[in-house]
Amino acid sequence: MESLGQFEQIVLTAILALDDNAYGVTIHAKVEDLSRPKKATRGAVYATLDRMEDKGLISSWLSEPTKERGGRSRRHYRIEKSGEKALRDSARTAQRLVETIAQNLGGLAWKPR
Amino acid sequence: MEAALSSPPEWLERVVQIAIPPAARESVAGDLWETYESPWQYAAEALRTVPFVVVSQMRRNLNPLALMLQGGLIYICLGGPATLLLLPILMLRDAYQPIARPSPRRAIREAVLLSSAAMVMLFLFMSVHPPFPVRAGVDPFTWMSLFLAALFLSPFLCLFRAGLIMQGDRRTALADQELSKDSLASAYEDFLRGTFCRNILEGVALGFAAACGFAFAWNGILIGLFVLAAIYLLMDSVPRASSACDFMSLRTRYQRELVRQEQLRRFLRWLWFAPVLVALQARLSENSSAPASLTVLLNCVAVAILCFLVAALNREFGGRVQEEIGQLDRVRERLTQTVSLGEPSAANR
Repeated sequence: MESLGQFEQIVLTAILALDDNAYGVTIHAKVEDLSRPKKATRGAVYATLDRMEDKGLISSWLSEPTKERGGRSRRHYRIEKSGEKALRDSARTAQRLVETIAQNLGGLAWKPR
Repeated sequence: MEAALSSPPEWLERVVQIAIPPAARESVAGDLWETYESPWQYAAEALRTVPFVVVSQMRRNLNPLALMLQGGLIYICLGGPATLLLLPILMLRDAYQPIARPSPRRAIREAVLLSSAAMVMLFLFMSVHPPFPVRAGVDPFTWMSLFLAALFLSPFLCLFRAGLIMQGDRRTALADQELSKDSLASAYEDFLRGTFCRNILEGVALGFAAACGFAFAWNGILIGLFVLAAIYLLMDSVPRASSACDFMSLRTRYQRELVRQEQLRRFLRWLWFAPVLVALQARLSENSSAPASLTVLLNCVAVAILCFLVAALNREFGGRVQEEIGQLDRVRERLTQTVSLGEPSAANR
């Protein structure tokens, strides 16, 4: 089973949230939003996308060229079945973490900031 | 995303485009263009982005076994320090491999340049030892033969490149804009079958060449490389396409296998010429005490021509594979009647 790093989880979540509109610019914007207050460079997002594509977690294709991109195509991404499974597993782990922290840091009143 | 209000300066865009590896150029350059605000912002964003893209492409194209074999080949010909220097360059070259075949004009220009350089070297040598240098151990007849050979070198190299270009033009394009999953699976299966047969044949041929190497007392490392490559090819099991896999996954798998096989072929093309290169390098080492001798000159020309031939083969065939990958990137799934109407297509999810 493929285990995900934290940044991979964020990028996969961004692709999942963006659905049909997941390409470099939008994924980077979503990743910045999800990883606040940390900043993420676009280059790191591209490298992670390439790595996850090689692992078979996501797949990509080129769209038609558009004028607002100087006649260039967008590379769209979507999550594969194995990516969905890896993301679910990561979410379960994160859920357990949150619950454990909540039990030890103030019960139900505790919330992650 | 909103359309960019203005576009980056042409020169800056060109510089950034050159820096981005071709495989990622279309999408990364487009993304940078889309988020353009000012030349400084564009340049800073490119500086922050491009190194990641280059490293990522180096990692993606890295084939450790092929790189190890290439390292061995360079070590035999050029020694340890050159190997250490050239291996990162080879990795960088892999990251920047073009996504199309070289233009015919450029290919022919390279052939003409090489043959012209060979002729110039020959004439320079003749001018150093005028007329017909008997002391170099060469008679006038040999000089005349060399002169004619140099004259015919240019058309020969041009014809070689032109032949490769025409062969590439004749091959059928993989697909139009739409392709059903079954057609793609069938194309992938054909590719796997062809690769399997080719690997078996080439593996046996490499084994036979290694056996011949023992008989002709080749360099031990070279024989080892032939044996290793033969074993690798014979054991190389290409992953089979799963029937459960959808159009996009199948396409990704097809593209990945195309890249892997081309990396292997690129090395094998060098390996097949390696015995000749190693023999020429050995002769050059023997004649290093007399650097101006005709043997040294001819060996240098022969090495340059051999390298040109292998590089030309690699560029043409590598370009074809990259074109095929590009075509696959743009192919959309054509829905057939076998697709259930209740389930959304993979491409339309």
